[in-house]
Amino acid sequence: MTLRRFLTLGLLVVLLGAAGTAVWRSAGPRPESAHSIAEQLLCPTCQGESVAQSQSPMAAAMRDTIDQQLAAGRTPEQVRRFFVDRYGPDVLAEPSYRGLGLLLWLLPGLTVALVAGLALRRRRRKPDGPSPAEAPAEAPPARRRPSRAWDAVAVAVIALVAAVAVASPHRASDTRPAPTADRNTSLQSLAQSLEDQGRYAEAAEVYRDVVTQRPDDRTRLKLAFALLRAERATEAAITAEQVLHDSPTSTDALLILGLAQRASGSPAATATLRRFLKAAPADPAAAEVRRLLAAP
Amino acid sequence: MIGQAGSVVLGAGLVAAVATTLLWSRVALLGVSARPARAATWTTLAMAAAACGVLEAALIGHDFSVRYVAENGGRDVPLYYTVTSLWAALDGSLLLWLLILAGCAVAMGGRRPGRAGPLRPYAMAVAGAATVFFFALTYFAANPFTAVSPVPADGPGPNPLLREHPAMGVHPPLLYAGYIGMVVPFAYGVAALLAGRTDRLSVALMRRWTLIAWALLTAGITMGAWWSYAVLGWGGYWAWDPVENASLLPWLTATALLHTLAARRRTGALHPWTVALACSSFLLVLIGTFLTRSGAVASVHAFTTSPLGPMLLGFVLASVAGVLGLLVWRSREPDSVPASPLLARESVMTGNAVLMVALAAIVLTGTLFPLLVQAVQGDAASVGPGYFNRSAVPVALVVLLLMGVAPLLRADRAADLRRLAMPAAAGLGAAAVVGLLSRPGVLPLTAFALGAYVLTGLLQAAVRQRRSLRRSGWLLAHAGIAVVAVGVAASSAYTVSTEQQLKVGETVTAGDVTARLVRVDRTAGRGDMSSRVHLELGGGADGRSEPALRYYPARDLTVSVPAIRSHISGDVYATVLAATPDGTAATVRLAVNPLVWLVWLGGALTALGATAAALRPPSRRRARIPAADAEAPVGAA
Repeated sequence: MTLRRFLTLGLLVVLLGAAGTAVWRSAGPRPESAHSIAEQLLCPTCQGESVAQSQSPMAAAMRDTIDQQLAAGRTPEQVRRFFVDRYGPDVLAEPSYRGLGLLLWLLPGLTVALVAGLALRRRRRKPDGPSPAEAPAEAPPARRRPSRAWDAVAVAVIALVAAVAVASPHRASDTRPAPTADRNTSLQSLAQSLEDQGRYAEAAEVYRDVVTQRPDDRTRLKLAFALLRAERATEAAITAEQVLHDSPTSTDALLILGLAQRASGSPAATATLRRFLKAAPADPAAAEVRRLLAAP
Repeated sequence: MIGQAGSVVLGAGLVAAVATTLLWSRVALLGVSARPARAATWTTLAMAAAACGVLEAALIGHDFSVRYVAENGGRDVPLYYTVTSLWAALDGSLLLWLLILAGCAVAMGGRRPGRAGPLRPYAMAVAGAATVFFFALTYFAANPFTAVSPVPADGPGPNPLLREHPAMGVHPPLLYAGYIGMVVPFAYGVAALLAGRTDRLSVALMRRWTLIAWALLTAGITMGAWWSYAVLGWGGYWAWDPVENASLLPWLTATALLHTLAARRRTGALHPWTVALACSSFLLVLIGTFLTRSGAVASVHAFTTSPLGPMLLGFVLASVAGVLGLLVWRSREPDSVPASPLLARESVMTGNAVLMVALAAIVLTGTLFPLLVQAVQGDAASVGPGYFNRSAVPVALVVLLLMGVAPLLRADRAADLRRLAMPAAAGLGAAAVVGLLSRPGVLPLTAFALGAYVLTGLLQAAVRQRRSLRRSGWLLAHAGIAVVAVGVAASSAYTVSTEQQLKVGETVTAGDVTARLVRVDRTAGRGDMSSRVHLELGGGADGRSEPALRYYPARDLTVSVPAIRSHISGDVYATVLAATPDGTAATVRLAVNPLVWLVWLGGALTALGATAAALRPPSRRRARIPAADAEAPVGAA
């Protein structure tokens, strides 16, 4: 063994030791953060997104829950258990490896065994025939005269395809473009059903969640109306004013603002409601508003 | 009116594709002149181009009587995104698919003598059959030109996610070109089975085409990862989502194919196993298309679903059955090979191919598993990144280990492993330094070590062969893969992120970077309403960052537009998750992602290396052997 080779080997052994220490240091269990737990959960209202990725209000609420539970001293396992109990086992991003889940390991394993087996079988064989270079090449197809029958069949096939293409019905489709599914839709329907049950305060909270992501007038007015019905007239008036600020012609916003002002005893209520009547005299609510204004 | 013209063009294309297939089979079986077949191929291309042109005209002219325009057009969409909305939904992207497929066929059937191997007519007939199928699929199941009644006054515009970034004009066409390029190895593979023989020229053609398609697919996947990171705004670039998996599957098998072709490119023979790999890449493209476009599996990227699932599935099953049948029919007792040493080029490359197939099997199983559970138990199940990280990542690390040996491989004798001393020292050193300074976890640490080991070995090889670097595209491609591995390891191990609700003036901290909420601007545009959050960065980064939350009423969809400030050490990545309507508070996610740019750089290097290898002129020694001398039967190893 020359000195050089000895030194190289020595260096490699030293480096191997250092790298081994480094791996051993890294191998310890890593603390689970709220983010890593969120990554292991699937957002129930989204299409294949984890709670960590998704921007839906549902996922945001779940992230809050994870934070709160960890802060309250629960273990990551308890947090996962909590979500599984609530949303079922498919809320977990990683499947269980029991039962059918075993296939996740068996199928790739079998494929590899099969492919590797084929490759090895080929390698092991001893040469016993002519080498590939000497293998007799098949003669290229002899030139034959094109047969008429062949051409006739070809033309018939083309004609058939053309006929099918022409005859196939291309009716005007009267289907309107379907509205795309939205992550917020389920929350909206949740809020609606809460409203139907008369749980206005809870509905307002859900609407408020939706509004942080889709600040359109319709949702904000629903929020304002739910607040009004939850007897939180001041907040309802603020929300309605925001809508009016963005779209000054919204009569619904005027109506809700007026009713909210009236409920909170604001002197501006009468003026606002009169403005509403002037802007939308034929509104279904107009008669009721007139009655309110006429009452002392 | 314009819709009818489109339907007529599509129908004409279908007929032309049928004629192309029949004419090329005539050339293959009867040995007649290829001139009419070539004319039919050109006609098919013309019809595909015309169909794309008609739909573009309808989109640009806002002709909402055409179904596709009514669903994906919009008057307030900028011209650029109107043009790119040709591929913003399934039916339109099928037209682009047809255009590329027909273009591929024309290039394959070209008149230049270097392109005409004896297998070519068979391969052209196979490619023609695929074209017929896709024309039929478009015409019968997903015709974008059907009329809408009543005609709407305006459309919703393309999916908002597809009009956030100008790369929309490049990314999908690139990916489609990579997918469709796989039809060439498929066509030559099936042709070899049909004809029962192969020859040196056909195999060389197959290899060159596979390289081109592979380079495009590599670029497309890298760009998709970047798109996911910079536009979709969830903070990462790869989530093992079905659509991402579908693009990875053909890439893996094509990689295996390239290596088996390279291992024995001098003999001009095709082993059945190579033929199977050649066919599987395109079949996996079809399976991926079926999975992600039929709505069979849930995905973030599945922008549309449609009723063409059954037709696609039928074609996939028929193709798989056909290829398997041909393989069984043509397979003979494997011919003898002089057993080569274990560490010679052929064995190592076969080992690599086996590992690639293993990766593909893992990814395919993980992608199909939810369907299986649904079918057997009726439950919903999901396979998240956890499974893939546990199964595919270790196999990928073994691939890197094997890749380090690549520069030492010889055709006839075992590699001299003593030459690995330097790369091994570099790898162990990297692991030691990184692992003693931080605790990235075992897998990332191994990836750092293997990356250093592979790159050192490649550097040595480049120095050794500096005279013939022009012939070493593979060096660059391998270096790119190693760089991606390091980038992925670094960004997965060291990313820190914090999510917090901030009032104006409050600060969020991630790692050594802080961001203070300055204000929230709310603006209403013509088609969208956005809340732009102004953050002032401090600590390890400075400047401003302005992520936004954009709401599109027409699609009822909220898009979070991330703000990324890139530095050499990494990116500061900010997103808005929610903003209160009064603009006084916002929920912000602040992340520091180190070295993500290595992933894009590595992908680009890999694609560049493959392109260099594809464009390389054939070496003189091989060009001297006339093609006809080198015919060999399929199955001769």
